[in-house]
Amino acid sequence: MPARARKELFISRPIVYTAWGLVWLFGYGAMWLSVRGQHPYTGPSGVSIAVVFVLAAFAIAAVLVIASKTVAGIDGKSTRDRRIIGSTWAIGYLTLLIVAPVISNSVSTRTLAFISFAGPVMLAGLTYILASVLGRDRPPLALGAWLVIVGASCAWQAPAAILATCALAGGGAFLLMAVIGTRLRTHGS
Amino acid sequence: MAAETELDPVIHAPTRLRVVVTLATLRDGDSLSFTRLQDLLGLTPGNLITHLRKLEDAGYVTTVKTGSGVTARTSVSLSQQGREALNTYAAVLRQLLDSASTSGTSPH
Repeated sequence: MPARARKELFISRPIVYTAWGLVWLFGYGAMWLSVRGQHPYTGPSGVSIAVVFVLAAFAIAAVLVIASKTVAGIDGKSTRDRRIIGSTWAIGYLTLLIVAPVISNSVSTRTLAFISFAGPVMLAGLTYILASVLGRDRPPLALGAWLVIVGASCAWQAPAAILATCALAGGGAFLLMAVIGTRLRTHGS
Repeated sequence: MAAETELDPVIHAPTRLRVVVTLATLRDGDSLSFTRLQDLLGLTPGNLITHLRKLEDAGYVTTVKTGSGVTARTSVSLSQQGREALNTYAAVLRQLLDSASTSGTSPH
């Protein structure tokens, strides 16, 4: 019963990590493929950016459907924590979406690429650290810290390399966490 | 804790044990709606109410009713006393099972 209740009352982390891992791997990967070999760098193609938004929309929809079914009927501290985490990420991401075009003409392409591509990675990392602190949970802390390091490391890289780093080190970290989470769930149940 | 040798009769009933264990999986400070708890356990409303009343009388669960009419909602949560009672119950049961397995393997 505890294993069944836990499975039914808690959002499956491996599913969430897999969804975001695939979005990052294929989304950033598509943008990287579109800028690879550009001389001079002009930015990702419209198609690759559309791929990112379509993949992200599917991932957000899937996570919301799973979450709403799982946490239905649960109220209290974890509901409040989820609202704080969700709104922190949403406000941060909207800020990046607004700021990047505004500063696009006044900063170098490298700086713009860092803010536009590595910014969401660091924001996701900080959001996972916040989730870890609120939920007193270690795995999100490790993922969050890694994503902040991955995002910060992009400050020393060219735009194409930033995209490759975010796809492989960012998306790869999510997929690795999904594999670890699935194994722990299998051995724990 | 060490003095406990009897299984708590309030928790020992199978249905009440399932109720308490289900509520114990929630994080501290969380509650579960009556209907979701009912769905998870596959109980009728009357049956669940009966068991919740016994657990509430023992101080193991807290029920809170909010709203009225179609928006009425009853939330159920495990109290600190209930969590401690479950831990004690698990420890006593483990002790009993350990002693049973020890006596079962001893030479005659």
